[in-house]
Amino acid sequence: MTDDLIATAGEYVAGLMSPEEQEAFERRIATDGEARRAVADWRTRLLALDETATQLTPSEGLWPAIEAAVGAARPEPAAEPGWFARIWQDVSALRLATLAGAAAALVMAVLLVAQPFGAGGARPAVVAVLNAPNTGEAGAIVEAFADGRIRVVPLRAIPVPEGRVLQVWTLWDRQVGPRSVGLMERAQARDYATSGMPRPANQQLYEITLEPAGGSPTGRPTGPILYVGRGATPL
Amino acid sequence: MVAVSVDLKDALARCAGGDKAALRMIYDSECASMIGVAARIVKRRELAEEVVQEVFVKIWRNAHRYDPGLGPAKAWIYAIVRNQAINTLRSGRREDLVDEVPEDAGSAVEAYAAAERLPDGNALRRCLEGLEARRRTSLLMAYVDGFSHGEIAGRLGLPLGTVKAWIRRSLLALRECMG
Repeated sequence: MTDDLIATAGEYVAGLMSPEEQEAFERRIATDGEARRAVADWRTRLLALDETATQLTPSEGLWPAIEAAVGAARPEPAAEPGWFARIWQDVSALRLATLAGAAAALVMAVLLVAQPFGAGGARPAVVAVLNAPNTGEAGAIVEAFADGRIRVVPLRAIPVPEGRVLQVWTLWDRQVGPRSVGLMERAQARDYATSGMPRPANQQLYEITLEPAGGSPTGRPTGPILYVGRGATPL
Repeated sequence: MVAVSVDLKDALARCAGGDKAALRMIYDSECASMIGVAARIVKRRELAEEVVQEVFVKIWRNAHRYDPGLGPAKAWIYAIVRNQAINTLRSGRREDLVDEVPEDAGSAVEAYAAAERLPDGNALRRCLEGLEARRRTSLLMAYVDGFSHGEIAGRLGLPLGTVKAWIRRSLLALRECMG
């Protein structure tokens, strides 16, 4: 491990990076196992400092508030309008992403009306714009069809290092957990045939992570999220 | 306070499976410390609780992302706490705080106390003590108080470049000392 990586990972863990530096370094983490280990190493080494904090008894309302926030994320995604907003707040610095995503979704909706995708002009049940968690830049469009077909269209070059693969996931129910849609060896538009999933719903989560070649060994996302977004029913 | 011994790794795995009781176990075990860590950064008790509330939502949603191969669950959890606290400050609420925290208030800087509270014989403590005092303080002001380079430079009356260079060198010295 180079001195530069050790110092840079330390700066990252200490929260010293500007948003731009942080974004660049998180991209590096996404594709560089050594950088990921350097970060984990600092977190482990410096944990003792967190343990020196004075314990502050939570006020009585805290657990009920957590339970309410968490509980709201549990039911059917479509039934909970507040969920969408909270998810976005959830990931840091995503305020702009929501706007960018909404704008991109609008563009897509217009494109879809002008030029329907799919065989026989079938329209997707759900369209999602996937954005980078840190910059909010749009990285891919997902169109999910009622028959289980899912089309993923990257909007920009996504670097895939040797020995790694992009993996597309969807989550419609926390109880079930994220399900793999399929692998993408390199960034290019692809159609996936899926089965055993419910009809795509409004607010359904889609994401692309970077995984070891062959796909996540655990059947759940293990790598960093490169792009994530929620589906919306096209007008 | 009753010490609750919880296997956090196991609790995260159960959270990933949708077991809310496991989230409550993490809360019972860690919440008071988490508020303490957040409060050192945001400097305000009620804001610290807001931060911790968001952290628990993140833990719940992201528990399946925790990779035991990359260190203890506790380190993963507290990284989320500090990250959320710093983001809360930098997303526009910091301006409110400047008025409330006098710039010269020594009590507003938690870095000193944190180092002193590390257990005797702790490798991190020993190695921090090996650093020149102001360099040690610079590093701790970043990690413990969540200060930016500029804030540290301002508080210590040092050029920005000096603080940046000191912290990088201190990190390398720390790492070498801890082995």
